Amino acid sequence: MTVTLDGDVIALSGPCGVEEVETLVNYLENHPSAPVDVGEATSIHTALWQALLVFRPKISGSPSSMALGQVLLGIEAYLRNDKEDA
Amino acid sequence: MDELIVQFATEARELVQQATEDLLSLESNPQKRDSLESAFRSIHTLKGSVGLFDFGSMLAVLHQAEDLLSRARADKIVVNGTLIDCLLAVVQWVEDSLPGISQTGRLSEAQEKQAPRLIGILSGEMTDQVDDVIGPGPEQIPGWALSLREQAPASDSEGSLIAIRYEPHPECFFNGDDPLATLTKVPDLRHLNIFLKEPQTSPQNYDPFRCHLLIEALSGGALAEAEAVFRLIPDQVELLALPADDAKLPAVPSGTPSDHSVERQSTTMRVDSARIDKLVEIAGELIVAKNGLVPLAGEAQELGNRRLARRILSSHHEIELLVASLYGAVTQARLIPLEHVFRRFPRLVRETSTRLGKALDLIIEGETVEADREIVENLFEPLLHLVRNSLDHGIEPEAERLQLSKPARGRLRLTARQRGDQIEIEVADDGRGIDPQRVRATAVDRGVISEIQATASSDEAVLQLVFAPGFSTASSISDLSGRGVGLDAVQSSIKKLGGSVELSSAVGSGTSFSLKLPISFSMTQLMIVEVGGERYGIPLSDVVETHRLPASAVQCVRAGQAFVLRNQTVPLLHLRELLQLPSSGSPSGDLKVLIMRTAGGKIGIAVEKIAERSETLTRPLSGLLQGVAGIAGTTLLGDGRVLLVLDMEDLVR
Repeated sequence: MTVTLDGDVIALSGPCGVEEVETLVNYLENHPSAPVDVGEATSIHTALWQALLVFRPKISGSPSSMALGQVLLGIEAYLRNDKEDA
Repeated sequence: MDELIVQFATEARELVQQATEDLLSLESNPQKRDSLESAFRSIHTLKGSVGLFDFGSMLAVLHQAEDLLSRARADKIVVNGTLIDCLLAVVQWVEDSLPGISQTGRLSEAQEKQAPRLIGILSGEMTDQVDDVIGPGPEQIPGWALSLREQAPASDSEGSLIAIRYEPHPECFFNGDDPLATLTKVPDLRHLNIFLKEPQTSPQNYDPFRCHLLIEALSGGALAEAEAVFRLIPDQVELLALPADDAKLPAVPSGTPSDHSVERQSTTMRVDSARIDKLVEIAGELIVAKNGLVPLAGEAQELGNRRLARRILSSHHEIELLVASLYGAVTQARLIPLEHVFRRFPRLVRETSTRLGKALDLIIEGETVEADREIVENLFEPLLHLVRNSLDHGIEPEAERLQLSKPARGRLRLTARQRGDQIEIEVADDGRGIDPQRVRATAVDRGVISEIQATASSDEAVLQLVFAPGFSTASSISDLSGRGVGLDAVQSSIKKLGGSVELSSAVGSGTSFSLKLPISFSMTQLMIVEVGGERYGIPLSDVVETHRLPASAVQCVRAGQAFVLRNQTVPLLHLRELLQLPSSGSPSGDLKVLIMRTAGGKIGIAVEKIAERSETLTRPLSGLLQGVAGIAGTTLLGDGRVLLVLDMEDLVR
């Protein structure tokens, strides 16, 4: 499993493919306040990022690659701007 | 005069190719300014060259085409499908005229006759659309790109930037797309915005398997690099080169394409391929000459001069390294990218699919993979055959596809990749596949195999029968394929190039042909064997393994001999008999057997001695030797002796 619930943290680790999105959505639905740790992930599929945009959990962990970092910046910027608008 | 025509034809072919590519890219994205510019340049240059000769109406036709393009550049007419169709027709006509022109120096009558029609559609095209003025010029920068640029950190706005707006198809996850991963492949990504298309998307009304995103990004890389990343999904992406300076001056984003071509011109030069071949030949002779140093060292040793022997050997070693790198460099000069063949397909597929009424996407990948010129040039025919085969027999008509809940547009992939010293080319469609039952029935029907064989063979094996001479599953002869030239022609031409074809197919989901070819076929690994006191070379690629066989293990089967290897009965042949050399009496002790792969399965070839392996340049036979069966070529050994290289397949037959 690459998407796991570790205590009250939802952890993404290793390659996280599109097939994990249901698991992730499930956790996000049932644990609305749990932060999502992306520090251990080596790749994260767009579908998973999208789930984070929709459920807007707190995102923690520092990304393991440049590419992940770039995407995370974009995601965080969106969540931040949206909050300001609201 | 002749030489001028030859030069004209070469140049015209390139210009036609360039214009075609530009027009097709314009078709998929009518706003693409640089394609329009480049198409105009090609037609303009072509017109200039044609003006040097007297090719009847060709000049007038090209003039009209150029005129249309220049109006499109000035935004006086809209770039649309009709315009592109007309221009493509002109380009096609020029291309079709070229063979005649190269032969006779004139435009053939048949071609000349078509000119008035072309001029007619070209001028009709113009008058229809003159008033159809576009509002904002395409070079005006859209709002999203401007605001994107403002968001980027100020220091980053130096140099030109590429603005990217990517709206992934909602179903793209099902196609295996990973939009953000794709985007991060764009070099020098400076800024990234990700939006939900409907910001109100809530956990309740959202489908995790559909993509609801809109992605915008800025890249400091070249436009071409960004285009390459999105080449499979151009319809979902807008790419825009932002000018380096302040946006108040919306200069035409001209930079990239023309700079690029200037650069290319200065680093390449045209060389007659015969000169390169001459270099390859000289390098080959050097290898042979270098090998002559080894016996010389032996001689020095015999004369008691060990120091001299050592020095000869060390200089032999040095020369060996140099010659190898020289050889590598000259063979590399013969390598050309597969693009030369691949780029002829988009237009061809477009035409054919229109004619057949089958909507289709052609996906080309790996066109930068390189191989020897001769191999690349000879690939067009077989690939064309396979592509047509897919279009004709593979891809179903749209209605049928929809009924099978397949996407309405068929998909044809032409992919190449390099694997070690081989290239692999795949032609795959997502059509109806080949039904092994039907192949079985047809094969029996046409006497390709017997009924017993047919039922005994696996589906996989049965499929390969489509390569058998005279086999064609098409029940009706169509315009495209099925005119008697079957897949056997494909197989034999690939074989001639030293390659192989494999077929895999699944009923309902598609067929894939996989071609494996050497990158360069001038250097061969040989296994040297001895029989009757003579040495012969056998291409190592034919040998599966070598085996030591006790004489007692040989069993007589009727007139022949066989032995059992890992529970498989393998026929045994003696090279001495195959070469019709006098017998040396009954063999004693163990036999040395080469296990070889042939069309009919594995066979064992008994030889008297297996000597060293050697890498040499095998030349095709010339002169008197040309017709000799069973001999693939000759090569020189280090001591100057000639080694015959055997063609085992031919010999066994």
